Amino acid sequence: MTNDILLQHTKFIAGYAAHLMGCGIHTSRVIRNTRRIGESLGFDLQISVFQKSMILTMQDKDTQKTFSEVVEIPALPISFEHNSELSALSWEAVDQRLPFEVLKDKYTKIISAPRIDPLFVLLLVGFANASFCKLFGGDWMSMVIVFSATIAGFFARMQMLKKHINHYIIFIVSSFTASLLASTSLIFDITSDIAIATSVLYLIPGVPLINGVIDIVEGHTLTGISRLTNAFLLIVCVAIGLSITLLLVHDRLL
Amino acid sequence: MNIVLDILSDGFFAAIAAIGFGAISDPPMRAFKFIALLAAIGHACRFCLMSYAGMDIAAASFISALIIGFGSLWLGGKIYCPMTVIYIPALLPMIPGKFAYNTVFSQIMFLQNMKVPELKAKYMEMFFSNGMVTITVIFLLAIGATIPMFIFHSKAFSLTRHINK
Repeated sequence: MTNDILLQHTKFIAGYAAHLMGCGIHTSRVIRNTRRIGESLGFDLQISVFQKSMILTMQDKDTQKTFSEVVEIPALPISFEHNSELSALSWEAVDQRLPFEVLKDKYTKIISAPRIDPLFVLLLVGFANASFCKLFGGDWMSMVIVFSATIAGFFARMQMLKKHINHYIIFIVSSFTASLLASTSLIFDITSDIAIATSVLYLIPGVPLINGVIDIVEGHTLTGISRLTNAFLLIVCVAIGLSITLLLVHDRLL
Repeated sequence: MNIVLDILSDGFFAAIAAIGFGAISDPPMRAFKFIALLAAIGHACRFCLMSYAGMDIAAASFISALIIGFGSLWLGGKIYCPMTVIYIPALLPMIPGKFAYNTVFSQIMFLQNMKVPELKAKYMEMFFSNGMVTITVIFLLAIGATIPMFIFHSKAFSLTRHINK
């Protein structure tokens, strides 16, 4: 292999690993998948993962030459679709010995596939949060209020995401929007504390919370703690947004 | 009859919640039916354990998470999805949001009632008990669903493989 081709392969493997790490996959799977991809291209891989970057050391099995690559982990939206498709790709690569060009084409195709329609997600999230309200013992009227509050909050979040506003601010504002709208339930004689409490739950970062615990249990303590810390900061932001509403209305809640 | 209806409605709403919260994280379309199924089974199971078997929320969550974990191991292979793609969205409705909310609420009330000793003590107690439940339950949910991955690791690691099945 010439140096040029080697460089292309190295960059590709590093990009693959960073993408997996960025879109919310627990660390041990990222390492296994990347090793498999490396294996299919004739490399022996060692990987160190940190919070915002990862270091890959690859040894070419033919020439015994060793290369290192440091990549930054991008902040991508969580995608389970990428998780399963890219995992399947790593098996396909190693089982069928996919040539590099085919592998790269398939990878590009997977990561550029469109996500679920945002408006559809908006609707689903509204229903989800309304059912949550029901699970916590809210009545039908509260469910309707939570449904509309969630839609408004989530819509605000989507708009702010498009404008690339700092994500802490996004979480504070959308949590405030949703809980303030849910506090209209105080006008009626219904389960308004449940309505206000559930209206912000769509913002709880459940995926990093669970991934963080998985990472810690599997021994990737560093990335696990960093995921939990990030999730914790976002929860604090949700709490701040909610607090502003509570400070405005708490006299009527008691 | 009423009991059956309660259990079914609990499972039904948990399934809707799992689909909606899962949709934010963009799961593959083929995974939705299993996410909904496992979320319904898991949440209804926790509901039964807590309401009829008198179990506490932490132990009940752990057992339900175990069931979801084993379910995702079994169903994941059918649709070539990693376990986490199915079980994380299915666990989301079980995250104790009400306790998390009460933790924040009591924190604010604590700070507002610093000058009233009885209220201060009440909200301090409320803060710690709710916070403890929130943290324990989230931790047990993740562990419970991950245990099947440790037990059957070679199967769990090759769910997305298309040959040899």
